[in-house]
Amino acid sequence: MLAHGSPPVYLCIEFNKNTPGRTTSLDSTLERAAELLSKARLPVFGGLFTDVKGASAALSLAEKLGGVVDHAASEGTARAARVTRETGMTPASLGEVRNRADTIVLLGDMPRTRDPKLLDKLFPKGATLPRPGDNKRELIVVGTKKGRTPSGIRVTELNGKADLPELVALLGAAVREGPFDIRDTALAKKILSAGERLRNSAFAVFVYDPAELDEPVLHTVLETVRLLVKTTRAATMSLSAPGNGDGVNLCSTWTCGLPVRTSFAGEVPENNMWAFETVRLLKSNEADALVWIDALNGEEATPPTRAFRGVPAVVLSSRPVKAGRDDVVIEVGAAAADHDAAVYLPPIAGIGMLKASAANKKKPTVAEVLSRIEALIDAKGAA
Amino acid sequence: MLVKLEGGRIIDPAHNRDAVGDLYLEDGRIVEKPEGREPDEVHDVSGKIVMAGAIDVHSHIAGSNVTLGRQLMPELPLLAAAEGQPILPSPSSWGSYATGIRYAQMGYTTVIEPAMIPTHAIQAHTELASIPIIDVAGLVVLGNDDYTLNLLRKGDTKGDELKDYVAWTLAHSKAIGLKVINAGGSEAFKFNARTFDLDEQVPEYGVTSRGIVEAMQKVVADLGVPHPPHVHINNLGIAGNVDTAVATLKATQGRPIHMAHIQFYGYGKEGDKGFSSGAPRLMEAINKHKNATVDVGQVMFGQTITISGDILRQFDGRRAANPKKWIINQGEGNGTGVVPYNYKKKSFVNALQWAIGLEIFLLADDLWRVLFSTDHPNGALFTRYPEIFHLLMDKNERSRWFDALPEASRQVSTLGGISRELSLSELAIITRAAPAKLLGLTDRGHLGPGAIADVAVYTNQRNKTKMFAAADLVFKSGKVVVRKGNVVDVTWGRCYHVDPGFDAQIKRRVKTFYNNYYGADPSWFGVTEAISDRPDRFATIPCTR
Repeated sequence: MLAHGSPPVYLCIEFNKNTPGRTTSLDSTLERAAELLSKARLPVFGGLFTDVKGASAALSLAEKLGGVVDHAASEGTARAARVTRETGMTPASLGEVRNRADTIVLLGDMPRTRDPKLLDKLFPKGATLPRPGDNKRELIVVGTKKGRTPSGIRVTELNGKADLPELVALLGAAVREGPFDIRDTALAKKILSAGERLRNSAFAVFVYDPAELDEPVLHTVLETVRLLVKTTRAATMSLSAPGNGDGVNLCSTWTCGLPVRTSFAGEVPENNMWAFETVRLLKSNEADALVWIDALNGEEATPPTRAFRGVPAVVLSSRPVKAGRDDVVIEVGAAAADHDAAVYLPPIAGIGMLKASAANKKKPTVAEVLSRIEALIDAKGAA
Repeated sequence: MLVKLEGGRIIDPAHNRDAVGDLYLEDGRIVEKPEGREPDEVHDVSGKIVMAGAIDVHSHIAGSNVTLGRQLMPELPLLAAAEGQPILPSPSSWGSYATGIRYAQMGYTTVIEPAMIPTHAIQAHTELASIPIIDVAGLVVLGNDDYTLNLLRKGDTKGDELKDYVAWTLAHSKAIGLKVINAGGSEAFKFNARTFDLDEQVPEYGVTSRGIVEAMQKVVADLGVPHPPHVHINNLGIAGNVDTAVATLKATQGRPIHMAHIQFYGYGKEGDKGFSSGAPRLMEAINKHKNATVDVGQVMFGQTITISGDILRQFDGRRAANPKKWIINQGEGNGTGVVPYNYKKKSFVNALQWAIGLEIFLLADDLWRVLFSTDHPNGALFTRYPEIFHLLMDKNERSRWFDALPEASRQVSTLGGISRELSLSELAIITRAAPAKLLGLTDRGHLGPGAIADVAVYTNQRNKTKMFAAADLVFKSGKVVVRKGNVVDVTWGRCYHVDPGFDAQIKRRVKTFYNNYYGADPSWFGVTEAISDRPDRFATIPCTR
């Protein structure tokens, strides 16, 4: 453990090479992890790029230790969770949207950055299930260039000097036929026409990444949908968070009643999207230990590098990591590569099971490692 | 280890038993008194009531719909803590762990989650596996899904394809039975219908609600699934819907059906307010249709949340949301509506709903067909059960509640004139024996030799709320898990399901369908035993064909 403020020494730990001092057995490594965590006053379980079993084990240990759970891509899910608690939500599954939506409103850049094939999924080439109304399918792109779009689909681009929040507000005003005033008359005309199209849609869906929209914008979108559903069908479709963020969030919710960014330090669990965010907890020295979990096939959590310093860490990773000399680093299998894994899958809008693609059963799973650490901590408590 | 429960009053209606006696448990089962052997452990339960562990046939305890409710309303336990039986005002009070603990404290040992979405069965089973102590099972929802509707549109010309599809779905989601929720109504909602009746046609598909339920009844019977189709019928919660319930009963033509939370269909439209008790008419029909079972869906006053795959009904219900927030989730098949609700004693309608539920229980000729439920959490949280038992077993307690209701509600209710009090044996029927029989779980719900050693021991007292809120002793599979109302051993139960055979061709067809329309692979949502780390988690119950 490094005293706070002393110069950190980083090692790039590659599991397959014999790093000096790292040739110890898994048992003794787990002992060190248990020792480190049982001393911690407020350990934060961050990263959480893991499957549902891994998340469940992390929640169990965090509850036991009075720690905090957070996810490395929880910014969007935390906002969405707060909006849900305040007023609700109106989601539609990808299956419903691709089969039945006649108007899709794509907000911002992130959806296509996150999933370059998104539009092909939303506008499939083959046959679809019966859908309401007889409108031709249409795409409205808001706050960004329309870029490449599927052929045969009418596309409107609402873009210009106005930024995304303003455009969403203007579109909302156009839907409810409220007054608005912008200088760009060509854009105004397009917005009015888009508003009319939405009112005349049989099933309009707003697609976005909550990490790109601030809470007031999320509220505006929801209110617009709620206005539309008075007379027609409408919904939202939010891109799922990277790193099984939605799966981890759901697991947290059924386990303790709250999404991630929850603390178990008090008598009852407490959720706070500002207070229980990993980097803030580390920077402020409120957290005195970090459990960093990064073990999903094909996705990498961004570690809180600078904030890492000075806080002892237990790192469960499926790939080589940079860690402090005294950090406990445990190589684990990558979910959905080394072992079967339940993770959030957008095509079914829920948690599904992915088979291991290249099973390496020698590597322990996140769940196994955390359960063993928990058992060691239990044994210490009983001794 | 041989365990003896000595000198208790044994209530076992499945064997017509209500007498003081001893009960022996060994290796997780109830056994005959072994000759020539002394028990290893003796529990003196003289003066106590001994019943089989209770079985809840309809309680929304797990899965993506329930967790949507948790996402919308983490404060539910805080608000609900102010009403009735105390619960810890913590968001985790309706998490998985607390669910198992609280059920066990009341002497419940088996609970059925009644609405697993086929594509979300993995989440449902993962949640169920994180609920301690109790055994569980899930009903899987079909009837608004495009695969079924497409087969029915075509008249299922391939003969057995619907049968194979239902069998495959039951097996794939490890379900104990089939649930149908507002058959066709959720699909019609996708085409902007706002109401849907028994004989209305689903847009684009042409089939009616009646046709869907009829087809499912036939298929389930053909497959030999012990539990008949578990049907949430049309027009829930609407004044005058007793007509729908009666018409649905007639439509069954003698084939087995279970109609869920029937209280919500016990509504007439008489009187100045256009809302009245339809319970007498409903019960006349239920008493007559011996092919039908129901669970009641009793309402209790206080804060709760309604979670339902009847998206059409929930969409309408959003206007009554309290607190004012709601979720309409449009997914494959039914989708979900989540709407918080606060049943108020001072409300004419809520007071009448409360009375109608009790009337249904008390007007039943045959309690083996009128099962206990609150449709948790829709009518009331399951933590309120002891208060309802009290109301059913004690007419004075009932009067005390009834007299506090609005004058207008009392005037149109027949409850005040009913003096029936359920006996302990009758309570054991509606909470133990009948649910087990209905589900095909022949190894429980009774105390005969060979039954699973799920046993609840209570202190008999006038105050039935107190009596049933905290069991003196609860054995789960022979192990003591509760003493004096406190959980002393956190064990893990099993999950029961059926596995009717099907023609393997259906797998290819379903795979093509999901691939074409959803870009998804059905293997993603197939439930395997690996979902739990406990090797004996799943158990198959036999089909009769």
